[in-house]
Amino acid sequence: MGGLDRGEIVLEHASRSFSVRADNAGTLKGLLIGRSAPGPPPVQALRDVNLHVAPGETLGLVGRNGAGKSSTLKVLAGIIPLQHGRAACGGRVVSLLELGAGFGRDFSGRENIYLNSALYGLGRREVEERLQDIIAFSELGDFIDVPVRTYSSGMYVRLGFAIAAHLDADIMLIDEVLAVGDESFQRKCLRRISEQIATGTTLVLVSHDAHSIERVCERVVVLEAGEVACDAPTADGLLHYHRQMGTGSGETASVRRPAGYPVEVVQLGLRDADGRAARLFHSGDVVRVELDVAARGVAVEPVRVRLEVRDEEGRAVFRTTQGVGRVDGRVPIAFEIARLALLGGDYELAARALGDDEADDLDRADRLAAFSVAREPEADGVADLRGTWELGTRAEVAP
Amino acid sequence: MGARMLAYRYLFEQMVRRELRQKYKGSVLGVAWYFINPLVLMGAYGVMFGKFLPLPRIPDYLIFLIVGIVVWTFFQQSLLSAAPSLVEQSSLVRKARFPRETIPAASVAVQAVTLAILMTVVVVVSVSVRGTLGFALLLLPVLIACLLGFALGLGLAVSSLHAHFRDVAPILSAALLPWFFLTPIFFRPDTFPFFQRHAFVRGVIEWGNPVAPFIEAIRAVLYEGRVPTAGVLVYVVAAAALALGLGRVVFRRLDRELAVVL
Repeated sequence: MGGLDRGEIVLEHASRSFSVRADNAGTLKGLLIGRSAPGPPPVQALRDVNLHVAPGETLGLVGRNGAGKSSTLKVLAGIIPLQHGRAACGGRVVSLLELGAGFGRDFSGRENIYLNSALYGLGRREVEERLQDIIAFSELGDFIDVPVRTYSSGMYVRLGFAIAAHLDADIMLIDEVLAVGDESFQRKCLRRISEQIATGTTLVLVSHDAHSIERVCERVVVLEAGEVACDAPTADGLLHYHRQMGTGSGETASVRRPAGYPVEVVQLGLRDADGRAARLFHSGDVVRVELDVAARGVAVEPVRVRLEVRDEEGRAVFRTTQGVGRVDGRVPIAFEIARLALLGGDYELAARALGDDEADDLDRADRLAAFSVAREPEADGVADLRGTWELGTRAEVAP
Repeated sequence: MGARMLAYRYLFEQMVRRELRQKYKGSVLGVAWYFINPLVLMGAYGVMFGKFLPLPRIPDYLIFLIVGIVVWTFFQQSLLSAAPSLVEQSSLVRKARFPRETIPAASVAVQAVTLAILMTVVVVVSVSVRGTLGFALLLLPVLIACLLGFALGLGLAVSSLHAHFRDVAPILSAALLPWFFLTPIFFRPDTFPFFQRHAFVRGVIEWGNPVAPFIEAIRAVLYEGRVPTAGVLVYVVAAAALALGLGRVVFRRLDRELAVVL
């Protein structure tokens, strides 16, 4: 397409609205003369959206339901036209938009591979070259020759993704579909996507799952009511998204110790400077760790609380222990980090309460909370030791 | 349209195969059904107008009849299967950006397969019974091509109209019944005294109905063994070109919003 590189995506002042009338199709007369009868005002799905995605870039598209994510993908896929503005994609665009869309239900998986590949303009030989790889990737085995109407939704995803992943796309548009299917297949899909990205495929992924986006995308666009509310590197974008959703909760997971310990951390959460639950932060942010320590049955004294921050490899990058005196029933405790000196990445906060003479086996924790720190462009690593550079000034320092 | 369709010819082939197979699946008689409908029609009209209400001066009436019935059946089935085709294949339309003309075109192509099979039989029977083997027969492929173009053009138009306005297919099937009786399939306008007296009505029947010249032309070649009149030939070519042009324009106009209304 006109002057675009393969894999490049351009949206300029893209706007699109949809009529919400019950009779979607309108009247024949209205269609032929290009006008339609008055009805309820149309819903604006996209409002002057500007977006440029470079070849090989990976973009996550997030937002509330109805924010325009799917419309954006359909516009990029060329399935829905814009009313104003311009949308253009360079090269072959492959879209995984709707679960099972384009499958003939009475036809076998194999027959559907042919049909689906043909939908993207492949010829017989090109399909036959890919057939074995697609079947192998789908892991459907003998089911490949069974009519797809007998498939589970997970099997639909397997087949749909296996086909899409073998079409040599320059641009892949994926809408949520990965959420179905079992986890090992999801991992396989993500791996395959990464491989394709490595060969220069551009990816646009719509997902509610911040985790998939974090793993795959380098950039996130947050849509709100059809407008771009945030266009930033992934961690920042997700931060915005979680703030918008108000769901930035410090999810806690329990790694239970064997019963019989006298005290334990029963609740662990992270809050931002405003006191809101959060799990995405910036380097230098204020982070408040709030935990509840509870004694089983009788009061325990003295009690120590250990906090540990682990990086992606599970290495402890920070550990601190504090005596908290007597614990009777449930006691709230907070630990405030005035300046989060960590660089971008995924981290885990482990908390444990220890009774008087309890040995501190470092592997155990009562509660874990995962959190992420936004990546900063100028520094890499774990510890945030960012300083200021001074160039060409040493000579002047001498008296 | 042409270039894009060419790039997606394998898709087109897949769709035609798929529809053909879908038709046969689970049916005991399978392909035989393609013959049964026209044969039943031929039998019914043959008995009715050949025996009970004999129409004057039409020799070998069954052959006269079957030529018209085969052409009409193709025309009617093409429109009736093309009209709802986009709605039926909406999951494909919502999946990817491909030339959507492929969908109604495949519906018409499936009917063309039937037409080809039936025509082969009719040509053999007609040539042997009527002795119409001659140069005029060379025109048959041209006439069939025009008929295909005519049906394809109208098929494109009705399929995209039906996607936007779901009354189109029912209106069409209601209109096709009287249309059948007004088409010179089981009669010949020039043999009815009524038409002889009212030349204007005869003119409307012969020229106002775009299917009539197709039947007249194919009948001239197959049944009478003569070259159709120049007027009929020009009409047939022009009707095909016009229908294709119309179908293309209407489809283009309505194609953009297709995924929205489906």
